[in-house]
Amino acid sequence: MMNSIPKLIRRFVGIWLLSSFLLIVLNFVMLVIVALKQSPNGTPWKAAEQAAAALKRTEKGYVLSGPVSDELKSHHVWAIFIEDATHQVVWHTDHLPDSVPLKFSLSDVADLTRGYIDGYPTFTGKLEQGLMVLGYPKDSFWKHMWPSWDYQFIANLPKMILFLLSINVALIFLIYMIANSRLLKSVRPIANGIQALPTGKPVYIRERGLLSELSVNINRTSEVLQSQNDQLRKKETARANWIAGVSHDIRTPLSMVMGYAEQLKNDSGLPDSVQKKAMVIYQQSQRMSNLIRDLNLASKLEYNMQPVKQKRENAVALVRQVVVDFMNTDIEKKYPMEWETEDTLSSCFVNADRDLLKRAVSNLIQNCINHNENGCTVYVSVQSTEKSCNICVEDDGIGISEAERKALNTAPHYMVCDTNTTGQRHGLGLKIVKQIAASHGGKTLVEHSSHGGLAVKMILPRLQ
Amino acid sequence: MASEYLKTKRILLVDDEPELLDMVGSILTEGGFERIKTAGSVKEAIAAAEEFYPELAILDVMLPDGSGFSLMKELRDSGDYPILFLTARGEEEDKFKGFGLGADDYMVKPFSPKELLYRIMAILRRCYKEEDSLVKLCHSEIDFARAEVVKGGKSIPLTAKEHALLLALYRNAGRIVSIDALCEAAWGENPFGYENSLMAHIRRIREKIEQNPSRPVSLLTVKGLGYKLMVEGD
Repeated sequence: MMNSIPKLIRRFVGIWLLSSFLLIVLNFVMLVIVALKQSPNGTPWKAAEQAAAALKRTEKGYVLSGPVSDELKSHHVWAIFIEDATHQVVWHTDHLPDSVPLKFSLSDVADLTRGYIDGYPTFTGKLEQGLMVLGYPKDSFWKHMWPSWDYQFIANLPKMILFLLSINVALIFLIYMIANSRLLKSVRPIANGIQALPTGKPVYIRERGLLSELSVNINRTSEVLQSQNDQLRKKETARANWIAGVSHDIRTPLSMVMGYAEQLKNDSGLPDSVQKKAMVIYQQSQRMSNLIRDLNLASKLEYNMQPVKQKRENAVALVRQVVVDFMNTDIEKKYPMEWETEDTLSSCFVNADRDLLKRAVSNLIQNCINHNENGCTVYVSVQSTEKSCNICVEDDGIGISEAERKALNTAPHYMVCDTNTTGQRHGLGLKIVKQIAASHGGKTLVEHSSHGGLAVKMILPRLQ
Repeated sequence: MASEYLKTKRILLVDDEPELLDMVGSILTEGGFERIKTAGSVKEAIAAAEEFYPELAILDVMLPDGSGFSLMKELRDSGDYPILFLTARGEEEDKFKGFGLGADDYMVKPFSPKELLYRIMAILRRCYKEEDSLVKLCHSEIDFARAEVVKGGKSIPLTAKEHALLLALYRNAGRIVSIDALCEAAWGENPFGYENSLMAHIRRIREKIEQNPSRPVSLLTVKGLGYKLMVEGD
């Protein structure tokens, strides 16, 4: 908006200049045309001179030559000839109006020279013996013999005209200014409103002025957008709450499945085969437990409902604690773990939410365990580079194909995919790791491990 | 482990699901605990506490006639004993951590029975120290009360740091304690760069408790991660 106002003003000024220029040109052109049209008619004086010259004295009296006579007749002009000696009309055209006198005093002559005879505009032509007078039809000419102008006025006429023109232009400018400033005034809030619409904030413009209809529509649009946003937010909250509710309701029954299954699998009074079945039930209930935990967190992270409280944390200590926790719970020693961090690296600081980062690392380790049911060694390391802190979890298990690896790196998870997904659905564990890495300004890379299995690397920005 | 006396502690279980009460009860019974009382509501729990004098309470957060948190306050009015919460909501983790409600520990359902027993033992060990608490190791005994090690009939005194480290290891006996957790136990919050001092202290402890300090059997190293104290009779 701030850019478009000067643009608008420039445009208005341009239009004003153009219209002023066009007006002046138009006036000039029209004046010229009218003047040109005027000139052939504007010579009644000349006609009178010609008529005078065409009047010849003959034996039979005065005679007007044919062409001139016809010319006069065609224009309905009458003519008289006043003799000098007698002040009498000694010759006249045939159709002389009755109101024209046939004898003139000197003052009459002066009158007819500068004015009219009974409303007929008259023009005179000089002859040796007298005065030729042409009478044009009434109202055909306006004789302005009365006014006389001050010499200065005529001398200053060009300046005067210029002055008048500039006043005209100024007037046009004023009109433009008032009209446009009112328009601008009513456009400004609308433009501001339109600019504010995409930001998603509520917009309200006073519904007044020239463009009130536009204001009304913008306000309505804003309302629609707001209510849509509200509904979307409500839906997302409802979805996350729904997942939270379901996972809550599953937790208590699952506790019992898990608890009794563990008791049965450790009950030495039962046959081996039954203990093994109990073991499977226990393992699967643990998987469900992880799934519920992940589902809940993933949906919260997806809809930004999980508060992320970041603090300066030592990634080495944090990852080490997760590894130790895993080793303390892996009683069967089916998944030995190797700590591959350099001995000299005792700290690598990152800005992190402690619980979330621990969760990400434990998900990576859990992934190795989930995908290698026959056991595998898990290798965990923290590497400190110039700008990043890399947490790497690898295994020597079955690994994945190159195509799967590419898909894991690029394809969106089915939970946030907006198309129908029918392909292989991978677990939520990695999805959460990616979400957590992203919320810490980092990224996740899935690679093939040099140990033979899968390697997942979290690259987080390192604090100095 | 010299912790049989802890199995005699009175434990109050409060949960609104009778099946869960049965299960936790059976876990505790199998774990060796004998004195267990259960309650299904806040009202029952308060009545039970008045005659049972529990030494540990395990509470559900959501009860039909009130919350576990308010129940904890009421129970604490009548006696000072540790409280462990069982919650079905992962979100409540924040409450336990952030606000320091005074609970001694919490577990999110579903939980592994082994983990539950381990946590209960850890709390009890922390809160009820045996009067003459002798911890039996392979080649020696630790007397925490007197801060000394008895090896081959000889008493060897422990320094404050060694005592703190051994105590942290003993509380997690049989489990790995990370380097960072040990440094924190000995040097307080945010310990960095104490790894070498820690190694020196561990070496000295081994000299005191092991028969052959270069081939330890009680205080084991887990390379790069931490240490583990093996206790006899557990």
